[in-house]
Amino acid sequence: MADELTKDVPKKSAGALLQSVPKNVLFGILFLFATFPLFLNIALPNKPLEESTAFYANLMKLPPNSKVLIASDWTNSTRGESGGEMEALLRILIRKQIKFGLYSTADPQAPQVARDVIARIAKEVADDGGPVYKPFTDYVVLGYFPNSEGTNLAVNNNVLTAFAGKKDLPEGGQQTDVMQSPVFTGVKSLADFKYFILVTASSTDKIIIERIKKTPMMFMVTGVMVPENVTYYASGQLKGLIGGVKGVYDLETLMEKGEPESQVASLPGTDKLKKNKMLKGTAYYPTLTICLFLLILFIFAGNIGMFFSRKEAK
Amino acid sequence: MNLLLALDPSSLWNGENGSTGLWIKIILALLVTSGGVFALARAPAQVRKPVIVAVTFLSGLYYVLFWLFPQPINRSTPSDAPRNMLEAASFWISDAQNIVANISNIIAGFLIGLGIYSLLRIHLRKIVKKQTDWGFSAVLVVSLVAMTLFGYWDWANRQSPAGGTIPFVPSSAWGFQQYARDLLFDGLLQQMDAGMFSVVAFYIMSAAYRAFRARSIEATILLITALIVMLSFMGVIQKPWDDFVAGTLAGGNKDSVLNGLKLSDTYTWIRGSIQTPAIRGIDFGVGVGLLAMGLRIWLSLEKTGGND
Amino acid sequence: MNYALLKMGAGVLATVGLYSMLYRENKFYRFWEHVFLGLASGWALVALWTETLYSTWWTKMVGSHTDAGAPATRGYWAYAILVPISLLGYTVFSKKHNWLSRIPIGIILGLYSGQQLSAWQNRYLPQIMTSMKPIIPNGGLFKNSTTVPGTLTVSQALTNIIFLTTVLCVLSYFIFSVDVKSKLLKNTSTLGRYLLMIGFGAIFGSTVMMRFTLLIDRMYFIWIEFVQNGIVHAMTNR
Repeated sequence: MADELTKDVPKKSAGALLQSVPKNVLFGILFLFATFPLFLNIALPNKPLEESTAFYANLMKLPPNSKVLIASDWTNSTRGESGGEMEALLRILIRKQIKFGLYSTADPQAPQVARDVIARIAKEVADDGGPVYKPFTDYVVLGYFPNSEGTNLAVNNNVLTAFAGKKDLPEGGQQTDVMQSPVFTGVKSLADFKYFILVTASSTDKIIIERIKKTPMMFMVTGVMVPENVTYYASGQLKGLIGGVKGVYDLETLMEKGEPESQVASLPGTDKLKKNKMLKGTAYYPTLTICLFLLILFIFAGNIGMFFSRKEAK
Repeated sequence: MNLLLALDPSSLWNGENGSTGLWIKIILALLVTSGGVFALARAPAQVRKPVIVAVTFLSGLYYVLFWLFPQPINRSTPSDAPRNMLEAASFWISDAQNIVANISNIIAGFLIGLGIYSLLRIHLRKIVKKQTDWGFSAVLVVSLVAMTLFGYWDWANRQSPAGGTIPFVPSSAWGFQQYARDLLFDGLLQQMDAGMFSVVAFYIMSAAYRAFRARSIEATILLITALIVMLSFMGVIQKPWDDFVAGTLAGGNKDSVLNGLKLSDTYTWIRGSIQTPAIRGIDFGVGVGLLAMGLRIWLSLEKTGGND
Repeated sequence: MNYALLKMGAGVLATVGLYSMLYRENKFYRFWEHVFLGLASGWALVALWTETLYSTWWTKMVGSHTDAGAPATRGYWAYAILVPISLLGYTVFSKKHNWLSRIPIGIILGLYSGQQLSAWQNRYLPQIMTSMKPIIPNGGLFKNSTTVPGTLTVSQALTNIIFLTTVLCVLSYFIFSVDVKSKLLKNTSTLGRYLLMIGFGAIFGSTVMMRFTLLIDRMYFIWIEFVQNGIVHAMTNR
């Protein structure tokens, strides 16, 4: 009876089989391949890209007590990439004792997200015996500005009036005008900040390229924004670029090993972070490699299935 | 020390914090502007389009002047006074930039509330009229109120004189409102934000498997380039091949032409010589379109839907 | 109970709720979707005042008293004018007066479009400049350690020709405003289309990297941060 039921059901050809893996099976396989490698200690070789090396070298060459201005335009929706970028950036800035001001123009959540990450990394570095970074003294959070175009133009034109009236909280103190912070001591224009660093997952990269002219810029962007921003790096509009988790992994590789050819040193404390699996790029990259293999496999399977189906149809 | 001496000079445009004079001026300004708005609402229909065109044009004109008008130089002279009308105009345009940026931030800030107001209107109506799935609307409103309440409560604490003693990481200085704000913002909102975006990965996998086929020349080129880019992210393939080329094929000679066969060099060449100019071309095309659109909006040449 | 564990547990539950949609649409997913919308809107309301309007508008309008040794600032009453103008945006809900909402939107759009001229110049002129690459070689075939800096080798000149050809062909693809009759222009436009595919392939590859990273980050949060370092750690250290 079972044979009768299946008698008239045509058997799927090899080509059709290869092209018809159910959606839930695909999702399940991806879920597994995105999870299991995280438990393993896989060390992958890595050659940092030129723009990542330029980013790291530029920051490492800054003397202590230099100042940079950071536009932090990301939230936890892109924590996997932007979070890793921000953590790596903060570890470099804090270890090198570079002061920074931070503002956001993309998302109302962004300043709070940035504050949380800064507090966590500052504590991590201090616990490891590194510099103790205090809010207001070593960094200020300048708030959120909903109009990105006007704000960034104002920042370029006159950074002091752009942030006039903004207040931040020193440790143990009360809301105080940011212009009294040591971060703004001696600052007369944007040119007094050695670099303008953008950490973004939104279109503020184009807005900033169009408006910031007085100081060199370096960007940290998500993977999808890399192809477009590489053109800005190639034309010299950017002095360094960190793109996606590959960029984060490049930065962590450089923090661990330095760049001997350019005589750029490694960053103290990175070995311990790697041992304790606190480096996001290093943790995610092997799993990403395996997931990409999986995707390539399925794309090939689909195309081979199409090829077989065409042959069978002929 | 009389700290008031450090204040901006007193003028018609300002007043001392908390003074009756300042509050009177603020209320008068509100009343006069509101009066103007009511008058505008009663204006005949023929006036509407010219008003909007004028507002848009004048707003854009400022930045066009900011770009075209000669920038002031040598403002470090002690008096910082303009020497002639031209310089006075350039000083004014430059000094006004910060105020214009503030105005745009304030208007944009108020307009953000529009989306929230719209959301609340829809969901409160659903709750009141007990429409389908009104329970979910109640969940939304409760979440919104909870986040707003604890967000402001936490902020108000940090504004107080002892605000600086409240850290942003959990500590003994935290009260219930800090824990609640942290749980709602960091514990729930941030994680769900990340979760929403990560779901797309599954759909990319499914879509790439089902639709990414080399059916035409264009699709084949796209497929091959995507594969090269993905392979370039895999150091596990790149490093052994590059070492083989550098060591065995090129014999350790850095000047050997065969070094060009390294995956890293090949990818860098493709990226620099074909990918970058292709994307640059796309960017130019988009840029010219944006410029044309910007001019059309500034000059109100764009035809819009709705009442005119 | 350990607060950190409770916080992570809430995040894991919410993430699983959102992922349940991958199986099929269900009420558990819809519950968490509405929680997400509510929290995001609530935070936007908070940040609107605390991060933006309070310092940019309110303290500028009413001034401030001395704090931490800083001088008081005067209040500028003219900022009050912006309130009725901004609130005009809310007339979009009125059938009779919704044209008034175009006034604040016109201000924002006018300011944005006025910036486009200088913005276009800053963004594209450097790119146009660096696209003008030399194509006539004056050196050897390939670059090596003895090549004098500034010399253009034959291989580099060929690369530059490919670069220029790519830019011009891709640009020629975007000529839509006139009818393309010339055979040369038609062929360059076709070549431009193929070269565009290389750009799109790069964008696809990078997009895949990004989305997979976001997924891996969520898995890391659930399995490593919560399960391994949270629950297992708490149970083994009791």
